[in-house]
Amino acid sequence: MNKESGMYVDLTTDDKSKGWFAQSENRYAAAIIALVSIGSIWALSQDMRWLYLLVYVWFGVAYGMFLQYGRFCMASAVRDLFAVGVPRMAVGIMIAVCLYSLVAAFVKVSGFNAFHPHPLGWHIIIGGLIFGFGIVFTGGCATGSLYKAGEGNMGSVVVIFAISFSQAIFVVLGGWFDKLAPASWTESALNKGMPAELSVDQGWFDLFTAGYIWDLKGATLADMLQVTNPFVASFLTNSLLVTILPAAVILVLLYTFYFRKGHMRRQKLEQPVMKDHLRGIWAMITSSKNTAIAGIGLGAFAGLHVWVTGLLRDHYGIFNFGEMLANMGHTAGLSIQDTVFDPGYWYITTQEAQWGAWVMETMGMNMRDNIFFGLDNGVPNPLINAPGFMSIGIILGAAVLALLRREFKFKIPSLETAVFALIGGILMGIGARIAMGCNIGAYFATVSNGDPSGWLFLLGMVGGGYVGVKLFNWWIHWQASRSDDFAL
Amino acid sequence: MKQLATLWRKWRQRKHADVVNHKPHMVKLPGGEVVQVSHVADCMGATCPRPQLMTMRILDAMKKGDVLEIISDNPTTVETIPALAMVLYSQHLATLHTDNGWCIYIRKDD
Repeated sequence: MNKESGMYVDLTTDDKSKGWFAQSENRYAAAIIALVSIGSIWALSQDMRWLYLLVYVWFGVAYGMFLQYGRFCMASAVRDLFAVGVPRMAVGIMIAVCLYSLVAAFVKVSGFNAFHPHPLGWHIIIGGLIFGFGIVFTGGCATGSLYKAGEGNMGSVVVIFAISFSQAIFVVLGGWFDKLAPASWTESALNKGMPAELSVDQGWFDLFTAGYIWDLKGATLADMLQVTNPFVASFLTNSLLVTILPAAVILVLLYTFYFRKGHMRRQKLEQPVMKDHLRGIWAMITSSKNTAIAGIGLGAFAGLHVWVTGLLRDHYGIFNFGEMLANMGHTAGLSIQDTVFDPGYWYITTQEAQWGAWVMETMGMNMRDNIFFGLDNGVPNPLINAPGFMSIGIILGAAVLALLRREFKFKIPSLETAVFALIGGILMGIGARIAMGCNIGAYFATVSNGDPSGWLFLLGMVGGGYVGVKLFNWWIHWQASRSDDFAL
Repeated sequence: MKQLATLWRKWRQRKHADVVNHKPHMVKLPGGEVVQVSHVADCMGATCPRPQLMTMRILDAMKKGDVLEIISDNPTTVETIPALAMVLYSQHLATLHTDNGWCIYIRKDD
C-alpha cells in the first residue's frame, strides 16, 4: 500500500498483548506449517526419494504465501485494465516474468533447465480467448482460485472442481465431438503409429493432439536463431529479447494509456519532460508495493524451482517422476510409457485434470484410452501426485499467511457467484487444454524461458478478458436496472 | 428434505451484497481527521470485479469532496481500490482492517 495514497490501519480486535501463541489464528497457521513439516519428515522416513515430491510441496507453499501477500490476482491483470483501467496486476506480472526469466536463464546456463517449448499454433490464441473469458466470471485464474481457496473463499473451491472435471471430461470426449476434428487430423493421427490401446482415432482431443499439435513446431528464440553460446542464448536472446524487452514495452504502454494522465494531474505537471515520465513509470510500478514485492518473490522462486528440480533429476538419474514411482513400486497411476505429469516448474491445470480423472476412474470410467492421460500424464493417485501437491501447497501457504494477517474468512458464495464460478471454471478448463496450459503454464513459464508462444496466449487472454468484461458490465447493468438499490 | 429446501431458498435469496445506502455518517480517520461519509458501498461477500465496478459508478455520481466508504471482505479488492482511486482522480484516505473485513475511504477530488 502506498503511503502517499492514504493509510492502512489494523483494527482487528484480538488481544495483541496475549502473546503470539495465545491468538487462535496464529495457532492455526502454526498448525498448518507443523502438519506439512511432520508430513514431510514422515514421507522422508519412509523413503528418501519422496524428497522429489516434497520440493513441489514446499515451493507450492512459498508460491501460496507470495500470492496471498501481493493479492496477486492474475485474472485482474487483464480484467481490471478494461473494467476499471487499473494497471496494478499487469505491472506485477511484468515484474514477475522479468525476474523469472533472469533466474531461468541462469539455471539454463548452469545446465539444469527442464523447460520444453510449446508448439506454436492458432490453438494458443483460441485457448487463451476461452480462458481469458472464463476468468472474468470466476474472479480468479487457476492459481488465483487456489490461493483464494486458502483465504477461505468457497467460491474458489467451486472453480477448482470445475477446472478439474471439465478438463478431465474434455480430453476423453468422443463420439459426436470427433466430428469437430477435420479429416486431415484423423489421417495424420493414424500415421503416428500409436499403440492400439490409446485408440487415437477416437476422442477429439486425441485427434487434436496427434493430428494437429504434434505436427507443429515449438522452439525458444535462441533455438530458432540457432544461437549456440549458452550465455548469449539464455541471457541476451531468450531473456532479453523474449521477456524483458516485450515486458518493458508493455510497461511503457500501460503507463501511456492508463497511468500518465492521472500522474501528470496529481503532480500538477503542465509540460512533462522525459524525466517526469520515467518518474511516472516508477510511481506506477511502486503504486502497490505488496504486488511488486510478490512479483519479485514469485519470479525468483519460480526460477529456483526449475533449478532445484533439475538438480534432483540429475542426482537421481531420472527424466520424469514416473520412473522414480516405478522404481518404488507405485505403478498403478503411470502412463504406458511409465511417466506421470512432472513439469519441473510452476504449473497448475494439468494436475487438476488428473485429480478429476482419478475420481472418474475410481468411479469406474476408462480414462486411459487417450494420449493426454494414457500416453503422457498418467492418472496417479492424488496422494503421490507431485505437481498436485504443489497446488495443495499453494492453498496451505496462502492459508497460513492469510491467518497470520487476519485475512482468513470462510465465505459462502451467493448463488450468482457460484454459478459464475462453475461456468467460468468449465471454460477455463477447456481453454487451458486447448492452449496446453493456463496463464502459468502457457504464459508465465513459457515467455520467461524464451518461448514466444506465451505472448500469443496473453494476446488471446486479453481478447477474451475484454469480451468477458463487456458481458459482465452488461449483466451488472441489467441486474441493477431490475432492483432499486441504486440507480446505476 | 424440507430442511434442504429451506437451505436452498435461503441461499437463493442471499443478497449480492452490493446494497448502497446514502445514510451520511461521520468517521474518525486514523490521522485524527473527522470526515463525513456521504456514500456507502457495501460489497461484503462480493468478489472482483463487482466492488471495483460499484466504486466506479458511485464515484461517478458523487460530487467533488464527497467521501465514499467501501466495505469489503475480499483482500484482492482491498489491494486494488487505492490503485483504482489513483486513476479516478480521487484520494484514498484510509483503509481500516476490522474483524469482519475492511473499510476503505475515498474522497472524490475532481
